[in-house]
Amino acid sequence: MITLYDYELSGNCYKLRLLMSFLRIDYKTVPVDFYPGREHKSEWFLKLNPLGQLPVLDDDGLVLRDAQAILVYLASKYDPSGTWYPRDNPALLGEISQWLAFADGITSTASAARLHDALFYDFDIDVARAGAHRLFRILDEHLWFGEQQGRSWICSAGHPTIADIACFPYIILSEEGGIPRQDYPAIRRWCDRVKRIKGFTVMSGVFPAGPGKVAA
Amino acid sequence: MLEEARSRWHPIAAAHDLQFRHVFHGQLLGREFAVWRADDGYVNIWENRCLHRGVRLSIGINDGRELKCQYHGWRYSNRTAGCTYIPAHPADAPARTITNRTFPAVERYGLVWSSEEPRGELPDVIGLAEGKLLALRGIPVNAPADKVVERLKAYRFQPNGAIDGEGAEILIDAAQDFAVALRSRDGDAQTHGVFFVQPVDSNRSVIRGVLDQDAEGAARIDILRHHNERLSKLRDQVEREAANVPSPAPIEPVYERVSAELAEMPGMTTHGRKAALRVTVARKWQTADGIAGFELRPIKGILPTFQPGAHIDVHMPNGEIRQYSITNGPGETDSFVIGVKLERDSKGGSKCMHETVREGDVLAISEPRNNFPLRRDSTKTLFVAGGIGITPLLAMAQALKNQDLTHELHYFAQGEEHLAFADRLKYLGDALKPHLGLSPDQTGAELRQIVADYRNGMHLYICGPGPMLEAARKIATEQGWPDTAVHFEYFKNTNKIDDSSSFEVALARSCVTLQVPAGKTIMQVMRESGIDVPSSCEQGACGTCVATVIEGEPDHQDVYLNDAERKAGTKIMTCVSRAKSARLVLDI
Repeated sequence: MITLYDYELSGNCYKLRLLMSFLRIDYKTVPVDFYPGREHKSEWFLKLNPLGQLPVLDDDGLVLRDAQAILVYLASKYDPSGTWYPRDNPALLGEISQWLAFADGITSTASAARLHDALFYDFDIDVARAGAHRLFRILDEHLWFGEQQGRSWICSAGHPTIADIACFPYIILSEEGGIPRQDYPAIRRWCDRVKRIKGFTVMSGVFPAGPGKVAA
Repeated sequence: MLEEARSRWHPIAAAHDLQFRHVFHGQLLGREFAVWRADDGYVNIWENRCLHRGVRLSIGINDGRELKCQYHGWRYSNRTAGCTYIPAHPADAPARTITNRTFPAVERYGLVWSSEEPRGELPDVIGLAEGKLLALRGIPVNAPADKVVERLKAYRFQPNGAIDGEGAEILIDAAQDFAVALRSRDGDAQTHGVFFVQPVDSNRSVIRGVLDQDAEGAARIDILRHHNERLSKLRDQVEREAANVPSPAPIEPVYERVSAELAEMPGMTTHGRKAALRVTVARKWQTADGIAGFELRPIKGILPTFQPGAHIDVHMPNGEIRQYSITNGPGETDSFVIGVKLERDSKGGSKCMHETVREGDVLAISEPRNNFPLRRDSTKTLFVAGGIGITPLLAMAQALKNQDLTHELHYFAQGEEHLAFADRLKYLGDALKPHLGLSPDQTGAELRQIVADYRNGMHLYICGPGPMLEAARKIATEQGWPDTAVHFEYFKNTNKIDDSSSFEVALARSCVTLQVPAGKTIMQVMRESGIDVPSSCEQGACGTCVATVIEGEPDHQDVYLNDAERKAGTKIMTCVSRAKSARLVLDI
């Protein structure tokens, strides 16, 4: 049985809940009181993850930390379709890894701004927001040219990958850190597409999309 | 400059930004827009705030026909921006005054244009011919529009035919406050590009470039990348400059005040049934045996918002006035479609519609009124239609289908050839259950089966000929359906009206007491005293002239109220009903 050490408001934990929902994996959660309890810095949690960060996943004794790493693990092991992390396609794996690192950049900027605004973290808010806008500009341009070339997702496959999941949460929650997405229309459309993936699940602050248009 | 800019047309999005089932977040001169394309292609540009709690509609849901606010689910119709449903008030039809502010939308040159207070039509852009243009990626810039325009005058790019070259010659064809037209020439290759600058706010802009020639495949992507790269560089330069000077204060959008018409008490108006709208008969066709379909289009402007169950009064060339339900599905707001059955004993209404009214004729109609509103919080909705009674239920079923809510439409008719509006019925798919050629007894048996499994939370809507409606209501009651779950609409009131009584009516709010003599209705007496009473059918069927009873015992003669409402004695139809007591106090 998979156990997710989870905090409802964490976008990084949401990445795993999303993938497990897409893959229809059963799991249980152990809530960790990130705020205000700071339980992720408690003694018992530091034994699981000495970095004191969420999420942590325990799959029958295999304990893993880092959202991106866990996405790789879960998709490799539990995705029978082999599309979320296609192990036999080196070029695509390279692309995915590149965007997983990009997602880390989103976390250190957009998520930091959100922690500052919502949970009163002492970060330099201007630096965090400016950093997020720099990354959003890059992603919007990437997605816009993707649309022009008939590509719907972050990587060049005809289906979503864990790169989409890794980038999605802190983008869709960016307004909570004072980062509007108005200047990124291609990102906004891509968010709609992510929300329309079968099995999509929401979290606090993330709204569902309506049904897409079915070709007549 | 920005003040004057309000009366001009500006691009606010690229056409490709408005994908189906998406809501684009636009802004012009500090005012935010929710921009969405309905499935019928219509581009809606609305004030970006829900009239309820002010939440941005750009995070709402575009379901192809309506926009639903994310917060409390208020639904607004394509084209009219009128509210069609409020989930917290499931039994009520929202007032037509709940209508969001809309802005003009024109799609041209690969861009979507709007204006706050446009002076005239969107002007033609010299050098851009519709059809073979290439709209570039919009480049948002954190700088004032005039600074961006200045920089654009020195923009350098290669013509489409020599995109890999260097050092093309650039000519400024034209330059205005919010646009620069450039021509790039390199050998034989030449491209004309117009670069519009959308003033988003005092310190924010978007560069929207359009080239006079398109390209295909890889060449097209190369051109798009070429401009994206160079315009991004230009953006970085402008932004650096803008960052060195104090940025101007953001523009405060001015929200429209509530109009005087809504804010103040209505004045005295002329009485009687009003035909506020003029429409043309755009199409008249035989939709079933004995049933004519009419598509009514506005002569100018757009039609008012309607909800499923609503009807209009049609004022006919022969002076008759009849009520017809609107059969349209949600968001279908460019015309009203009604169905008219030729009655064998027509007193002039249906006969006139069938025989006199032709395509191209102008008809006067009332604004839509809804006294037969549809709940959407039902666990399962059953519709029972008899013959032409299909019309209001058809609109309702289409609304539920669009929201994917459970429903069945039982359509009783003499035969296949009597089923009206085949295309709309087809859209309903399996939810449509036709029952053809049944005798009254067989109909009763069928109805008994249909309404057999009442469970709390279900709702039943019936419309059809009087005897069938009576039977259906009776059967539903026998099967345990409470009055509150059974909704019905009669075509007409066949009760024999007894107007022999005379009594006193006190109008509590107006501080007027009136005598109603035998032979006159409450409505007539009120109108004679200068009190405006809305009405439609004036025979006790439609529910428009309902009044609240404060004191006294009504003598109900209508067919609008259900048994529970009659017993409660708190409502009265002033067009036909009277008083059993000597005095009636109404909340008017």
